Amino acid sequence: MILLAALDGLAYGSLIFLVAVGLSLIFGVLGVLNVAHGSFYAIGAYVAASAVLAAAGMGLPTWLAFPLFLVSAVLVGVVVGGTVEALLLRRIYGKEEVLQLLVTFAVFMILEDAQKVVFGTQPLFANAPMNWLGTVEVFGIFYTSYQLILIPLVALVVLLGLRWFLRRTRFGRAIVAVTQDREAAMAMGIDATRIYLFTFIIGASLAALGGALSSATTSLTPGIGSGMIVLSFAVAATAGLGRIEGAAVAALMIGLGRSAAVYFAPEFDVLIPYLIMVAVLLIKPEGLFTTVQTRKV
Amino acid sequence: MPRTKDILEIKGLSAEIEGVQVLRKVDFALAEGATVALIGRNGAGKTSLLRAIMGFMKVTAGAIAFDGRPLRDVKPHERPRLGIGYAPEDRRLFSTFTIEENIRLPAEVMKLGVPEIARRLDGIYAVLPELADLRHRPAAGLSGGQGKMAALARALMIGNRVILLDEPFQGLAPVLANRYAAALRTLRDSHPEIALLITESNPSLLRNFAERAYAIERGEVTEVEGGLAASSLAAAGMH
Repeated sequence: MILLAALDGLAYGSLIFLVAVGLSLIFGVLGVLNVAHGSFYAIGAYVAASAVLAAAGMGLPTWLAFPLFLVSAVLVGVVVGGTVEALLLRRIYGKEEVLQLLVTFAVFMILEDAQKVVFGTQPLFANAPMNWLGTVEVFGIFYTSYQLILIPLVALVVLLGLRWFLRRTRFGRAIVAVTQDREAAMAMGIDATRIYLFTFIIGASLAALGGALSSATTSLTPGIGSGMIVLSFAVAATAGLGRIEGAAVAALMIGLGRSAAVYFAPEFDVLIPYLIMVAVLLIKPEGLFTTVQTRKV
Repeated sequence: MPRTKDILEIKGLSAEIEGVQVLRKVDFALAEGATVALIGRNGAGKTSLLRAIMGFMKVTAGAIAFDGRPLRDVKPHERPRLGIGYAPEDRRLFSTFTIEENIRLPAEVMKLGVPEIARRLDGIYAVLPELADLRHRPAAGLSGGQGKMAALARALMIGNRVILLDEPFQGLAPVLANRYAAALRTLRDSHPEIALLITESNPSLLRNFAERAYAIERGEVTEVEGGLAASSLAAAGMH
């Protein structure tokens, strides 16, 4: 039973991780808590599902769905994310948090309605990619390879890829420098405006990728974004905002906790992520993985 | 005496922070290869003047010219590319990078080639040999004096025309302050073409070092006639 719950939680935690790590990255660099982040997840899901259905309608092979997921995630990140950053967020950096929350919440509301206008309110279901990958049997239970292998694998690649990118590439190091001290980074010749835009696009694309991957596992209905944003907030807060590895561990904790609840105490299913968050924050208010600031002198 | 060309020229510069005027009609010039001290108490506007040169201040009047070119339309992140190195107060190193990663960062951002970065690093370690031994240490674990030297090294990486040092001696123990001053003298000898602007609240630290001195008080800058000699400082009301 425990193993079954763990395997279920793995896929779920991986999806939350993809969304939460983007949220966390954006907060770490831009200092803005992006309430509209769940919209990127939802739009990513809708765009991917629409693309998969359209491709199927044209008689294209099913495997094409996987590159399409990636393309739609980047597309959503660049077009929707890039527009939001360049037109709106750019004006509110360094302003009061309340204003930032209100502005990103307004973006969230606008994007929610835009989704209904563009994609309609009828449930959208495109599970062909999941069925195409087949199933694996674990102790007599059949799991889809898609949920048991592909989704966690993508999450792992994203985690390792982000770590490598931030530590080993010139652009990634510039992002880290801006995160630590924007003005000092600019005095080193780093274009902070460009870093902000790219970071936001990366974060939005990761959320959209999470949405794209989820689109094959559930039917899409309006409101999927708001559920995800709350969960990813819980993950990011548990880990400490701005922590990448922390977001992975916290997402796994919350994913596993929730699927354990589904097996053992279904009535607490919805509550578990927040119970974990509250328990962690009671003991370590700055989040699990936040270290104390280094000394100044 | 033939006057050398000014690399940095500030005329009538006023700037404010959240509506409070912190620089008032500042006139200031830095000649090529010169060493100039800017002396003033805490809060007098020293840091504000350096931040205005780097483009981080809201300028309300006046102009800054670098090498005869107005800086008004040069974005902050483009100014280091002109050859301006800046070592801010409090070092402000990137704590998760090693010392050498900190020093290399501005050169990597400017996409200098590997051989050029290596050449500049060698030049820097010649001026600041103690940093060569510490190069792979994380910047977070540095002492105050080591941090100041790393910040100077980072400024040297791209500052081949002008280097701005904001209170480099602030908080240094006497031994380290001497060591830092010696490094500055080495730099003076090995790179005579670089102009140095050094701010300090204690003028005696820069005596025998800066050839010209300006005093800043409540955002107003005046040149101290006769430089940092004790008599001229006394005449200017400082000690």
